[in-house]
Amino acid sequence: MMMNKKTIFFFVLALASLQGYAQKGRKLSFIGGARSSVFSNALSVSDTLSDTTTAKNNYGGYTLLDLGFNIQPNKQTEIMGMFRIKNNYGGFWGSGVQFDVRQLWVKGVVGNALRYQIGDLNLRQSPFTLYNQHADQLDSMPSVFKLQQNIVSYEQFYQNNTWRMQGANVDFGLSFSKFLKEINFNGFVTRLNATNFANVNERLMTGGNINIVQSNQFRFGYTYNSTFDLKATTANNNLFSNTIHTFDWSINHAIAQNTLKLAGEAGISNWNYSADTLAPVLNDYFVNAYAKLYLAYFHTNISVGYLNVGPDFRSIGAQSKDVNYNAPTLFFNRFTNNQQLRPITLIDMIGNENIYNRTISTSLASENEVFNDILPYGLATFNRVGAYGKLQFQSKNKIHVQAEVYRLNEIRGQGSDALKAFSQVKLNSKIPFHTLIGLANKFEVQLGLRLQQTTRNSIYATENIDYKNLQLSLGLNYEIIPDLELLAGFVQQQNNGNSFITERNEYSEVTYFRNSNYNLSQQIAAVGLRINFSPKAYLCALLQQSSYQDRSSLNNKAMADFKINQFGLIYNILL
Amino acid sequence: MKKTLLIFVGLVSIGLSACRKENTFDGPSINEINSKFAILESFKVDKATADFENSNAIFSARFNKIVSWKITIKGSISKATKIISGESKVIDASNATWNGSTTLFPLFKTENCTATLLIASENDSASTTISISKTKLLPTGARMIANFENGLDPKWTKFFQSGASMECLVKADNFAPEGTKYLNMGGTVNWDWLIGLVDFNANAYNNNVTFPFSTNPENEYFNVLIYGDPDPKTNMTKALFQFKEDENSDGVFDAAKEDEYDYSIDVNWIGWRLVSVKYADIVTLVNGNPASPNGNKQHNPDKIGKISFLQLADPNLGFARCKIDLISFTQNKALDL
Repeated sequence: MMMNKKTIFFFVLALASLQGYAQKGRKLSFIGGARSSVFSNALSVSDTLSDTTTAKNNYGGYTLLDLGFNIQPNKQTEIMGMFRIKNNYGGFWGSGVQFDVRQLWVKGVVGNALRYQIGDLNLRQSPFTLYNQHADQLDSMPSVFKLQQNIVSYEQFYQNNTWRMQGANVDFGLSFSKFLKEINFNGFVTRLNATNFANVNERLMTGGNINIVQSNQFRFGYTYNSTFDLKATTANNNLFSNTIHTFDWSINHAIAQNTLKLAGEAGISNWNYSADTLAPVLNDYFVNAYAKLYLAYFHTNISVGYLNVGPDFRSIGAQSKDVNYNAPTLFFNRFTNNQQLRPITLIDMIGNENIYNRTISTSLASENEVFNDILPYGLATFNRVGAYGKLQFQSKNKIHVQAEVYRLNEIRGQGSDALKAFSQVKLNSKIPFHTLIGLANKFEVQLGLRLQQTTRNSIYATENIDYKNLQLSLGLNYEIIPDLELLAGFVQQQNNGNSFITERNEYSEVTYFRNSNYNLSQQIAAVGLRINFSPKAYLCALLQQSSYQDRSSLNNKAMADFKINQFGLIYNILL
Repeated sequence: MKKTLLIFVGLVSIGLSACRKENTFDGPSINEINSKFAILESFKVDKATADFENSNAIFSARFNKIVSWKITIKGSISKATKIISGESKVIDASNATWNGSTTLFPLFKTENCTATLLIASENDSASTTISISKTKLLPTGARMIANFENGLDPKWTKFFQSGASMECLVKADNFAPEGTKYLNMGGTVNWDWLIGLVDFNANAYNNNVTFPFSTNPENEYFNVLIYGDPDPKTNMTKALFQFKEDENSDGVFDAAKEDEYDYSIDVNWIGWRLVSVKYADIVTLVNGNPASPNGNKQHNPDKIGKISFLQLADPNLGFARCKIDLISFTQNKALDL
């Protein structure tokens, strides 16, 4: 919405009114943040014919202010409204300014028992019902990239695997003196998409959870999630629904100083269209069970688990992806003389908010095997069975090591009777050298490795798959003087081998397999200087370079190699 | 309690295992996709002579893998064309049934036709022949408003401007998409939007003041064949159909108190095209913009007393032309020619 004088007048009037409101003794506080960001990008393309048609430099930036009013008219009620004023560089006051409502909700407590929230909600259930998996993100992201990723998370309201939705949420709990410790209830209803009054029906999502805590040793719960079209909101009587019921449990058992935890979740899903005879009805189940042992003496958690997610298990809330691989990139969207669409690369994954979804999709989101071939929908990835093991260690001097191994198989073949076998190894570590060698200033190193391998051995050689995806990351964070940090990071990703890209129809049924051959190398390296004015405010100067090299012979080098150099300044403050 | 839970988890696991569907594999066979193409059963049609009044013709073929295919049927006399296409390894009744309908007009006549199967990706083709003994009929329940085979009915109201190069007459030539005749209208009027109009009054068909359509606007479809041939300099011809509801059945349409629904078509294509629309989806237009109707604001097809066809052109551009045929209403679905 473009700002005009009338809008500014009413905005100032609202501020003045609120000030008066606060003076009457009711609580009013201001929250929010401000950010200014400027980036200069340069593209260099290595093509057989030099690219003379697309621009090679791109400059841009913006300043924004998020101003939220948190009003407590009484002890039981809290109202939050946040406005955003954003001015892109190159725009001018009154013309290039965007003025938006960024957040709006009301929450409160009824009878000191029932909590409710109406308006914007950040919702999460279990990893199989409603969960933002962030499945394609680097687990060990160097700080210099994390800083950019944090801006994406702020923009898209990503908080601890939540999805941003609009609707109403209630929760309440009951405490008991005998047999049971407590029972907690939670329920919500949200609107996924509005009707167009012609053929798209109103689509809602409802969910609920009952969590029964018998003691500190034992708890179990039931979770329900349903996405459905509302009848009679248009003349279209073909109504979609996707319903999931799950049970989860957790048993803790102390063994001397150590603790053994047996936990898991199992459930069923149903996916159907009421009047479309071409649409399949998909019913399936999943089981995820694990044992976790905490060894107190070694400060170590070890867990082993079993995962079985059926090929027809569908859960819109858990199988929506944060990255939209069909979205245009923020800059250099097309390149080369052929006006090729530039693929999404590491630089986009790290800091391009355009490619990220704010809320869940209404159909199965596209996966991208370049970034994740094994668990593209996190634990909710359908058609997987196998085991996994995890190890987590943190020493007294804060050395942190985390390792994961997954060995999975397909349950049902994809275009072949032979099943794919998947293996994934992850190793992440954070080493605080300042505590090891007694430095006064922070000197921290991050290391990360992820190796994914997919194989399929069929009686037909044309169906065989041997595909590897190796990701390495290295990060450094050095405090030169108090409140001045040097940040550096490097990520290398290598995709090698052959695979088949699955094409699906609107019902998520497989329609075709496109043969792909990879010899793809991507790197991103960055160095930055960050001045911390306070724990909530910093200024950072960044220099980063990313490169993309496609050496595949089968694809006839379909994509030209390119590099993007980027210089940026970010000033960020949270109120 | 813990033992009970373990038993419960065990039972749930067994129950869940039992409900999983066992398929061989998802999607087409990759081995097949990558194999050398072969026609396993040759391309043929189930009958040498087709009587489309009573039955359909079914084409068939079978390949060793999924391919994109296209069957083009051409009439030897009419030059009508029917195109059926798909992506499969089997061509059969489910994807290649021909009911005598047309993709590129005119309509088929009683004539010999050649059907050609093309698999472009494999650079392969095959052909067969079929003779039409009886052409396709209009569907049951269809009501013909005008096919112009008997010229312009004197009971219809006509008005044509006195512009330049004006022509508004029923013609009989090779352009006819159905039967032998059609209405040709065109000319230049540079002082008004209207080139000419024809009112099809209900009482021209029977003694009633309204057409014998059903009461449900969701079930009634309006259809018309329009030949577009716009002047490339102006690209301007509008065909406007007005549906005037005589809500009080007094034999007179009162524009101030009764509903009129309008369907405006920009005729910006070249050749014949079948245009169909559900009556419930037609809105009221005032100066080309959606507006609220003046009557009971409900689509009442059983109250339509007059259907008007107006040919329009922006007076600044002046020139418009098009041909019209086979104005009809069908029930439950659009006309399939």
